[in-house]
Amino acid sequence: MTSSNNLTPVNVLTGFLGSGKTTLLQRLLRSPRLARTAVLINEFGEIGLDHLLVQHVDESVVLLQSGCICCSIRDDLKTALRGLLSRRERGEIPAFDRIVIETTGLADPGPILYTLLSEPVIRHHFQLGNVITTVDVVNAGLHLSRNPEGVKQVAAADRLVLTKSDLAEAGQTAAVGEELARLNPSARIWDAAQEPLDADFLLDVMPSAPPPSEARYRSQNEGAGVPKGLRPHTESVASMSLILDRPMDWTAFGIWLSLLLNRHGDDVLRVKGILCVEGSDTPVLINGVQHIVHAPQHLARWPTDDHRSRIVFITRGIDQGQLRRSLEAFCRLRAAELAVA
Amino acid sequence: MCGLCGVFLGEAHWTDVTVGGTDSGGRTRRHERLHRVAQANRILKQYGLKLGDWQGSAYLLGSQTGQTAIVPSVAAVWPAAERLRKQSIDPLDARLIQVLEQD
Repeated sequence: MTSSNNLTPVNVLTGFLGSGKTTLLQRLLRSPRLARTAVLINEFGEIGLDHLLVQHVDESVVLLQSGCICCSIRDDLKTALRGLLSRRERGEIPAFDRIVIETTGLADPGPILYTLLSEPVIRHHFQLGNVITTVDVVNAGLHLSRNPEGVKQVAAADRLVLTKSDLAEAGQTAAVGEELARLNPSARIWDAAQEPLDADFLLDVMPSAPPPSEARYRSQNEGAGVPKGLRPHTESVASMSLILDRPMDWTAFGIWLSLLLNRHGDDVLRVKGILCVEGSDTPVLINGVQHIVHAPQHLARWPTDDHRSRIVFITRGIDQGQLRRSLEAFCRLRAAELAVA
Repeated sequence: MCGLCGVFLGEAHWTDVTVGGTDSGGRTRRHERLHRVAQANRILKQYGLKLGDWQGSAYLLGSQTGQTAIVPSVAAVWPAAERLRKQSIDPLDARLIQVLEQD
């Protein structure tokens, strides 16, 4: 089953080397929800995938002229997705209704998302689903401190999956969970070693209820205690959640965000929010990773009775107070000088 | 590509998408474009630049010295503006924020 707009959802499964991506994928593929799923993998690990449609992808990046690394087309991915599409149309392979891309452990998610959102053929047949990032609780400090890609993978996530928590020392899982909740408050957290698999939670854009572990990390994080272990490694990365009481002017917001990304896109690791927009009764979802912004998406309804705009920014080395002040100043821009009535 | 004027008609940039538009009784697409131009000009005038709509398909950016650039979207205005002015336009610049707060 494809989505209501007939676009096939594509989920990106990422996470650092050895963080349990393939193990999670194996579990996911046993779920009826993923019975008709094609899988693209960047590297063959030791764990075999007994699945109907598995294709290997060689990594190659085509950097666009004057482009930054996040705004580059993954040529291998483009070819693989177009190939799958073509073979499905010709009936050469079973009709899949979802694709999961398992990235390499060192992959920067930027070019993958850019390819999915900007390549003309792909964007007309596929839509980006949740980005799922696995985090090895035991080695999270090492991964996040030594590899900028690890932080980008966490920032790009819609779902963060804690792995190997059964091997962690006492308190380690809580510290990692709290720090991940601080780094990316817009992502939902699931502990793969402690809780049964919930494919709907991982795949649905707006899941109904969070798993029990998530509330635990959030409540501890809000307790103002400094989590031990990871904080020194990720200190330059900060997240900010903004709540805006009044409906926003979409145009003013777009001007502000495009200007911000033009100047600071490399350091805006993630923007995700649900907006109350002037002239619209339903909320608008905004979602961006570095320079890449999804087309704004109208949701059918508000998820709760709270109809205020909520935006999460994950930034690196940006003064968050100045960011807030700037957004508020731009959103006060009015059309007083508009030439037409 | 448009056969008459040679303009590439690409995909709408996310900044050019009308949100809360005509379906909900808001602005029409043309009205929205003019609104977008007016909003952008509140920023650009601080740098001696002016933006105009160009045939409903692009934007024309001009400087006080007569330099011009045609850009496909509002997002493309900012790098073009920085090239024309040879300076960065930073939304986090305290002076720009102060001007907008007093505007």
